[in-house]
Amino acid sequence: MREAQDGSGAAMAQLYALHWRGAYRAAFLVVHDAAAAEDIAQDAFLAAVDALDRFDRRRPFRPWLHRIVVNRALDWTRREALRRRADGAESVFEPLPPPDEIGGEMIAALKELPAEQRAVVVLRHLLEYTPGEIARMLDLPRGTVNSRLRRGLDRLREAAEVDAVMEGRR
Amino acid sequence: MSGDRLGGALWDITIPKPLDAEERGRRIVEAAFEDRQKQRGRAFNRFRYKSSAALACGLAALLAVLMLSPAGAAVRDWVDEAISSGAPRPEPTLAKIPGGGKLLVQTGEGPWVVQADGSRRPLGDYEAASWSPHGLFVAAAKGRTLSALEPDGTPRWSITAGKRVAFPGRRIVSPTWSPSGERIAYRSGFDLRVIAGDGTEDRLLDGSIDVGTPPDARISPAYVPPEWSPTSEGELAYVTGAGRLRILDSETGAVLAAAPAMGRITWMDWGANGKKILEASPGRLRLRPVLPAGTPSRPALGRAHRLPLSPGAAVVDAALAPKRPLVAASITHWKKHGTYSEIVIFRPGKGSRVLLTVPGSLGQVVWSPDGRRVLAAWPGANQWLFLPLGGGRGQAIANISRAFSPDGQPTSFPLVEGWCCRR
Repeated sequence: MREAQDGSGAAMAQLYALHWRGAYRAAFLVVHDAAAAEDIAQDAFLAAVDALDRFDRRRPFRPWLHRIVVNRALDWTRREALRRRADGAESVFEPLPPPDEIGGEMIAALKELPAEQRAVVVLRHLLEYTPGEIARMLDLPRGTVNSRLRRGLDRLREAAEVDAVMEGRR
Repeated sequence: MSGDRLGGALWDITIPKPLDAEERGRRIVEAAFEDRQKQRGRAFNRFRYKSSAALACGLAALLAVLMLSPAGAAVRDWVDEAISSGAPRPEPTLAKIPGGGKLLVQTGEGPWVVQADGSRRPLGDYEAASWSPHGLFVAAAKGRTLSALEPDGTPRWSITAGKRVAFPGRRIVSPTWSPSGERIAYRSGFDLRVIAGDGTEDRLLDGSIDVGTPPDARISPAYVPPEWSPTSEGELAYVTGAGRLRILDSETGAVLAAAPAMGRITWMDWGANGKKILEASPGRLRLRPVLPAGTPSRPALGRAHRLPLSPGAAVVDAALAPKRPLVAASITHWKKHGTYSEIVIFRPGKGSRVLLTVPGSLGQVVWSPDGRRVLAAWPGANQWLFLPLGGGRGQAIANISRAFSPDGQPTSFPLVEGWCCRR
C-alpha cells in the first residue's frame, strides 16, 4: 500500500491481483449478477486509486476495500429491487448454475436470502471478518449482525446438506 | 454446518465470470493509476513554475486576446458547452440545499428531513414517507402502520391495518398526501384507501385494484403509486391491474375519467398545474393532457403523446415540472464500453435539451418546488447534482451517503421522496 501511495504501478498491480478475486466473488454472491459484480469490483478499485493520497497507512487496505464492495453491492440490490417492483421487467438475475454443478444448491439458497443477510454471511464466512468488524463495516448494531448470521446459516445448512449428497453422487 | 465448511463452500461455488473481467478491470485500474501519477506530476510542475509570474501574466494576456477575438469566441462557446454538459465540481458536504426548500430522503434505515441549511434529522425506521403539502408533517408507513409525523419525528397519529383496515396482514405502501392536506391516499395490499389528514375517516376507495393483471405480467400495473391532482382537491389518479388509468373522486369513490394506461407503465406523475399526466416505463415516456372539470362536467383524459427517445436509451427516472409542461428525464445509454447518462429536459412540441452528460449511470431526477432546477442523483459518484434550467453549471454535493449515516461512515445511497414546498 505504501509503495502504491508513493507511485509504484507494480505495487498497485499487486494490490489488484491480490484482492480482485475476493472482491468480485463477494460482490457476485450479494448481487447474483456477473456484469454488476464486475462493475462493483472495478468501482471499488477505482475508489481506492482515487483515495490513495488520503488513505491512512496505519489502516489495513482489505477491510476498507470490502466495505466499499459490500455497501455498493447492497445499494445495487436495493435499486434493482425498486426497479423490478415498479418495472415488471425480466429478472435481473443471471441463470444459476444447474444444481449438480459445484455449490449449485448453495448458491440457489444464498440467492433466496434477503440481500442484507447475504452480505453478512459473505463478509463473515467468505471474507472472514468478525461480527464486530462487520457491524462497523455495515453500520449495524452487533446484535443485528449476529441475528442475520444465525438466520442465514439456518437456511444455508439445508442447502449444504443437499450439495453434500450431490457430491457423494458424483 | 461449521463456519469453515461454509467458507470453503462459498469459495468453491462455481460462479459466472464475464470473459476477461479481471484483465479488463486491471487495465482500467492501471489507466486510472497512471492518470493519477500524471496529475501529481502536473501539480508538482505547477508548484515549480508558480514563481514564474511573468510567464503566467503572458499566458493570461494571450488567453484574453484569444477569447475576445472572433475565433476565440467560437473556442469559448465550445468550451462553455463542453463544461455545461459535464458535472459541476462538487462541494464536499451537504451544507445547504441549492435553491432552498426542504428534502425528504429515504435511506435503508428510514426517512430523514433535510432543512434548507443542510441540517438533517432521521425520523425513525419507516419504510416509505411523503411530505404534507406545506411540509408541516410527514406521512410515514412501516409494515401495517401508517403514521403522521412532525418533521422532528414526533408521531401525531397512527393507524394499524388489521384494526381499521379491512385486510389484516397487508403492508401499507405509497402514502401520498393530497395538495390541500385534507387526505392521505395509500395502498394496503392492493386496496386503494384514503384517510383524513387528522387520522380519521379511513375508508376504502377501490378494492383489489390488481384484478385483471395479465397472467404473463411479472408485476401488476397496480403497483404504480397513486397521484393526486396538484390543483383539484379530491381527484386521485391510479392504475388498475388491467392497465386502466383512472381518475377517482376521493370523496365519493366515483370514477371521473379512465383511459388505457401505457403498456408496462411503471410510474406516473401528475403535474404542469394539473394539466398533464406523465406515464413512464424503462423504455417509453408519454405525456397525456388532462382536461379540467368544468361545472358540472367531469375531467377528461386526452390522447397521450410519446416523447422521443433515442434508440437504446433506458429511462431511469422522469418527472413532470410542477407548473409547466416540462419533463425532466434521467436516461442511460448502456454500452459495453463507455456507458453514459444524461439529464434531458423535454418541452413537448418544442424538442428537448440535454442538461447534463456524465459517464456511468445516473439515478433519480426531482424538480425543485419552483420548477427552476432539478436534482439529479449520481449514486456512482455519491453525489447530488442541482442543475438550474436557466443555464449555469449548477452545484454538486459529494459524500451524500455519508451525510445520512448516523456515525458519518459511507452507507447506501438515499432516495429523495420529495422536495418541499412550492412557493
